[in-house]
Amino acid sequence: MTRASMSGRIGGFTTDPSHVGPIVRARRVWDYRRILWVLVKGDLKVRYSDSVLGYLWTVLEPLLMSLVFWFIFTKLFIRGDPRFTDPYIVFLLSGQLPWYWFNAAISGSTKSLLGEAQMVRSTNVPRELWVLRTILAKGAEFVFSLPVLIAFILFYRPHINIEILYWPVAFFLEWLLLVGFGLMLASVTVLVRDVDRIVRIILRVLFYGSPVLYSINQGRIEKVAWLYTVNPIAGILDLFRVGIFPLEMDRNRVIVASVETVFIFVIGIFVFARLERQILKEI
Amino acid sequence: MDEPVISLRDVGICFSKNRKRRRSLRDLVLHGSPAPKVGEFWPFRHVNLDIQRGEAIGVVGRNGQGKSTLLSLIAGVLLPDEGTVTVREGVAPLIAITGGFEGELSARENIYLVSQLHGMTRAEIDEEFDEIVEFSEVGEFLDTPFKHFSSGMKVRLAFSVVSRLREPILLIDEVLAVGDKAFRNKCYARIENILEGGDTTLFLVSHSAAHLSRFCTRGIYLLDGQIRADGPIHDVIRQYEIDTDTLEEDLADSDL
Repeated sequence: MTRASMSGRIGGFTTDPSHVGPIVRARRVWDYRRILWVLVKGDLKVRYSDSVLGYLWTVLEPLLMSLVFWFIFTKLFIRGDPRFTDPYIVFLLSGQLPWYWFNAAISGSTKSLLGEAQMVRSTNVPRELWVLRTILAKGAEFVFSLPVLIAFILFYRPHINIEILYWPVAFFLEWLLLVGFGLMLASVTVLVRDVDRIVRIILRVLFYGSPVLYSINQGRIEKVAWLYTVNPIAGILDLFRVGIFPLEMDRNRVIVASVETVFIFVIGIFVFARLERQILKEI
Repeated sequence: MDEPVISLRDVGICFSKNRKRRRSLRDLVLHGSPAPKVGEFWPFRHVNLDIQRGEAIGVVGRNGQGKSTLLSLIAGVLLPDEGTVTVREGVAPLIAITGGFEGELSARENIYLVSQLHGMTRAEIDEEFDEIVEFSEVGEFLDTPFKHFSSGMKVRLAFSVVSRLREPILLIDEVLAVGDKAFRNKCYARIENILEGGDTTLFLVSHSAAHLSRFCTRGIYLLDGQIRADGPIHDVIRQYEIDTDTLEEDLADSDL
């Protein structure tokens, strides 16, 4: 009933409780995938056509930040055992780029419903779309920034093993995690506005609390290794890096991270569906 | 008779009177809404309604009697707290008409964005594009960001786009009060044009008896969140006028 027969157009809905389960919601999002694509393209267009440097920013920002950290931790401070993290600039970038996606997508999706309040109030597309579009647009920017990492890999020519094939799995896990958190935060922020501020602080803490800049395999950190098992980002970063830094990989950490990620994804969908009615009234 | 294109079954929606009420996150997550508070009110409750394809319905009622809430429920931009709303075809909502337009994007980009949000393909929009632009009379500002438009231009462009969406259900909420007279007349002609096919279902909210009887055949009169009257548009308008007059007399009496 949700599809009109004419020229594949979509339309119609029911609020019948037996028709609004997660599968129906997912199918509705799928029906609107073309519109999702339009929104993502629009975001990228604004991102790349409105600034003078356009695409260069995508590459420059993580590159400059990584160079700063590279300088601090190879010239100013001792980094710990370099076996785990050499070449350090490759180690840095392979953690920074996925982190940038996480950071941008979380802060973006937290505001995704509030920022589009007018749109949400006037169009009946599945509300999940507003969150997904932010995560996907930032994901595209992540992919566009990869040439920086590839350039440094070509320069340092580190040994690359077959487990580099886990890379797409890591990408998918991060996406799942972002969708879960994004749906949760976007909906809760509409009802409790200061969540936005809390999220910004947590993101900063999480940056240092995740093995982006450093390896977990360092004497001092090993005592609190359990913390990195709780933090799913650590496991996902392991998986991103395993092709070049196999010593970083901890099978248990990755398995726990995957379970946590799926759990957060499910909770996110559940919370969003539960709060949707309230969101529409408050927005 | 066919399956109704719109049906409301025992529908109710509840708002909180008190804006600053404290919200419990735990309640929100566990129950989907905060535990019932004293300050809640129901602009709309126990409403049943069936609409057949091609009906043209005029909605009347004083301010705050649930007219806009009814349209929002049908547009799917509000969800009921009780009962079920079922809409079997696509809806072109002319409520908060400029809402779906993005200030940063140009008029041209907005035409494509909004039409695509309503499921039109690029090819379909290409086909309609010239007509949309001509109707809206903003041709020379096609590449100007929408936020720089005057409010009159915004409404003109928005009406031109939304009225071309080819959706089988059209919701109009007093938007036509905006814009100059010449453009308003064009809009009315356009609406008549859409209705001529007989396949489009129309919901019109208006305070003008003339417009209501020009476009609508069936009337719905909302009072205190209930359907006070539902029938031929002229009877409903008459009933509404009688009620309002009495009310005004009452008010006048109480003043004395």
